[in-house]
Amino acid sequence: MENLQEYLPFLIPLAVIQAGLMLASLIHVLRHDTYRFGNRPLWIVLCLATGIIGPVLYFAIGRGDE
Amino acid sequence: MKSFVAFTKKEFTESLRTYRLVVLAAVFLLLGVMSPLFAKILPELLSGVDLGGGIVITAPDPTAMDSWAQFFKNVGQMGMLTLIITFSGIIANELNRGTLIILLTKGMKRHTVILSKFLSASVLWTASYLLCLTVCYAYTEYFWPASILSNAFLAFFSIWLFGEFLIALLIFGGILFGNLYGSLLTCLGVIVTLSLLNILPYVQKYNPIALAGGTLSLLNAQKEAADFIPVTIICSVMAVSLLVMSIVVFNKKQI
Repeated sequence: MENLQEYLPFLIPLAVIQAGLMLASLIHVLRHDTYRFGNRPLWIVLCLATGIIGPVLYFAIGRGDE
Repeated sequence: MKSFVAFTKKEFTESLRTYRLVVLAAVFLLLGVMSPLFAKILPELLSGVDLGGGIVITAPDPTAMDSWAQFFKNVGQMGMLTLIITFSGIIANELNRGTLIILLTKGMKRHTVILSKFLSASVLWTASYLLCLTVCYAYTEYFWPASILSNAFLAFFSIWLFGEFLIALLIFGGILFGNLYGSLLTCLGVIVTLSLLNILPYVQKYNPIALAGGTLSLLNAQKEAADFIPVTIICSVMAVSLLVMSIVVFNKKQI
């Protein structure tokens, strides 16, 4: 990968969005302790390890009612 | 009409507070950036691979069409999946929590609920799809300038239409079964059935699933617009009839 420079216009926004989603869902998981299903360790692992799928799943169907 | 506006407003506030809007926008933005990146990076990754015995893959230079191929693949799979997951609770959550009861006993019409939910979901889907399309177009145009796109409107319109069809399907599933899993399974069941039907050659032309995956052939002029007109009409009719059926079922349903 000698021409990383060429890919920077892609990689920076990608990294920002990924990290943003991941952090947002992680913070939400840590600050709330009721989930529609699953438990805290499961959601932490899902949010950190599955790219965008974990956060999307968490916000859509995993998040408990407040 | 007043209740329709109020309920739609409530839907948008809900989308904002339940992070639906943010998640959709983020995912579709991601897909828009990812598609041209994959088109650009794949040949480079492949060209380094030595299959053994001196066989080395030589990949042709990527073109704008590769970028759009990735776009249709990503939006058609990952994008649709995200759409289904984020809107799966659109009816079910409301029925489970019983939040509709007060509104309906105060005289709001039941079809208002369905139409308003469909409208707000459509607006969210349209906005995030346009975001994805604009970003992908900007990158593609930057790296492969002045690329020729034939039938561009119909090609991009058809995958949007399929999204609308999925939203109508999710609403119908939610009304029919009253829970999140019913909604999800109805949608997935229909997609699997349509995919299986796609094996039959004479069905392919009229199968709505063609709208989600087959539109690249429209963009690079392998097929003509006329090939996709019947399926576009069929898909629109199906979406509208799903909405009508939802209203009919909902009117008879006990909440």
